[in-house]
Amino acid sequence: MKLLQVNDLRKYFPIQKGIFQRTIGYVKAVDGISFDVQRGETLGLVGESGCGKTTAGRCLLRLIPPTSGSFIFGEEAVDLAKLTHNEMRPYRRRIQMIFQDPHASLNPRMTVGDIVGEPMRVNRTEKGTALQDRIVELLESVGLRSQDTRRYPHAFSGGQRQRIGIARALALQPELIVADEPVSALDVSVQAQILNLLAELREKFQLSYIFIAHDLSVVEHISDRVAVMYLGKIVEISDAETLYQSPKHPYTEALISAVPLPDPSAQRKREHIRLEGDVPDPSQPPTGCYFHPRCRYATDICKQETPELRQVASGVQVACHHSDTLALQGV
Amino acid sequence: MASVQNTSHEKPLLEISGLKTVFPTDDGIVNAVNDVSFKIDRGQTVGVVGESGCGKSITGLSLLQLVPSPGRIEGGEIQFYRNGEEAPLDIAQVSPRSELMREIRGNEIAIIFQEPMTSLNPVYTIGNQIAEAIVLHEQVDKKTARERAIEMIARVGIPAPTQRVDEYPHQLSGGMRQRVMIAMALCCSPTLLIADEPTTALDVTIQAQVLGLMQELQAEMGMAIMLITHDLGVIADLADEVVVMYAGRVVEKGTVDDIFYNPLHPYTQGLLKSIPVLGRTPQKTLPSIPGTVPHPLTLPVGCSFQARCSERMPELEEVNGETENGGHAVRCWLHTF
Repeated sequence: MKLLQVNDLRKYFPIQKGIFQRTIGYVKAVDGISFDVQRGETLGLVGESGCGKTTAGRCLLRLIPPTSGSFIFGEEAVDLAKLTHNEMRPYRRRIQMIFQDPHASLNPRMTVGDIVGEPMRVNRTEKGTALQDRIVELLESVGLRSQDTRRYPHAFSGGQRQRIGIARALALQPELIVADEPVSALDVSVQAQILNLLAELREKFQLSYIFIAHDLSVVEHISDRVAVMYLGKIVEISDAETLYQSPKHPYTEALISAVPLPDPSAQRKREHIRLEGDVPDPSQPPTGCYFHPRCRYATDICKQETPELRQVASGVQVACHHSDTLALQGV
Repeated sequence: MASVQNTSHEKPLLEISGLKTVFPTDDGIVNAVNDVSFKIDRGQTVGVVGESGCGKSITGLSLLQLVPSPGRIEGGEIQFYRNGEEAPLDIAQVSPRSELMREIRGNEIAIIFQEPMTSLNPVYTIGNQIAEAIVLHEQVDKKTARERAIEMIARVGIPAPTQRVDEYPHQLSGGMRQRVMIAMALCCSPTLLIADEPTTALDVTIQAQVLGLMQELQAEMGMAIMLITHDLGVIADLADEVVVMYAGRVVEKGTVDDIFYNPLHPYTQGLLKSIPVLGRTPQKTLPSIPGTVPHPLTLPVGCSFQARCSERMPELEEVNGETENGGHAVRCWLHTF
């Protein structure tokens, strides 16, 4: 069952100059992306910095207004992008966010109990002892203890703080959680604990996740399907296993090849595809396929025509002119 | 493998033994680096891996006498075999502000840091900053230094070096800045390069470029690299020897194959199991190490890992020594008997 359908989402940030703040151009942070999220599913959104993955996530929650596009949400099929601020309110409960930096996303002057209870107080869903009980229940479900309610965030380690952030996101019983790099600030041994917790909570509360991250191994581990973004566009969507075993887009192939495997002999045997140069400036993207200047398979058509995201197999969508003829290597 | 590769009569480049670096705080003394011993051979890459707070960065800074105040090296030796000299120099005994230490820093042992934006001066051009290092260590005039800077910029793979030399750090991307840092570190042909999380702030494709560049330059210039990182993938890619640190101590060291295919310490084993590996059929739950790293002021008596260890033997409390096993050493009671 479809929980969310995103159609042609765009977010352009104007570049303004001079004393009259004349708009001289746009940074196309998100440039027409479409995808869907099924109920109970984890969709991974992966890409390098500046590819628009975080902007896309923030647009979904209407934390920043999208330039255009529609988000059809829930059974009632409401278009969240068209709602006014007030109409949006009941839907905010149903979509929550987990942030990257567990140090910056918790108010240092509030106790853990206040932080986790705040969404329920603001939305008036619980009060009094029921609220206190609910806070304890939430803390226990993320692996913290009831006596932690009175402590302040500084008394917790990075992993525990991320648990507090997760408890806060769960407070209003959301259906969809947008997790923006939830484990990238954590140490390896703690990262595994948080990934396990997120998987466990998904089962327990029938959650759906949009999991935004730059680390491909983490995304592969937690996601059912993965969307790869490059310069504001989705270049490939596929189920996680297919994507890593037989990527269909040259950028996906290069990304996979760039991840160093923690296996020395496999690493020595692998062919290393090294992309030249940097990600282009999103205010002046290249013509045609945005990836063509760094692509080793690029031909003339890639310089002229922008490839559309199209279905090439069941559940696999790719935006590449040559996806049918290329035999790309996975892991 | 190590003992086969490096014939025993040959001297290492650097030999650290019993290094102890402490930070006195109001609440007590933090042993950031506690009895750390390992060696680095010429032209070799030694990876130092561990989680935040394990002392890997402070070990790197200790080698250069750059430990931030109030920290100080309290014990141990850092025997550094300088070029053309028979007897080693103990860096641990050299004063941080001495002329000798300045001569070594940047010239014989160079360092690159994680965050290339904060380690470059924003008000000088990159050419100026690279030339500064050359003028400091070698008797050359400014013009020659500038030419050398341009040469170095070209060598680290930055396009259009004659124009880039006059640009400021903010005009460069993250990957380019890290290349500038590498150019600056290598301009005096050091014998040891300490790379402290050199690619952590970079994207994967840029990381692959920078790691590849470091390997190329190492093959060309023959310097040894001490690679400090938390990323086991980066270690597997680059390192010959690996040192695993936990709470200030070396818990295991050996060749890269020893560590990855025959890890002996429960911490190393746990670390390797807890990372998701690309392409490996995903398990439902990752085997994670329970708990968190203990606070450095309240380390338990005995093994620091005991509270999180699945193999814990409660009757053994004291810290055990390392057992040498053909270059593969581990600090664990399981392997002492």
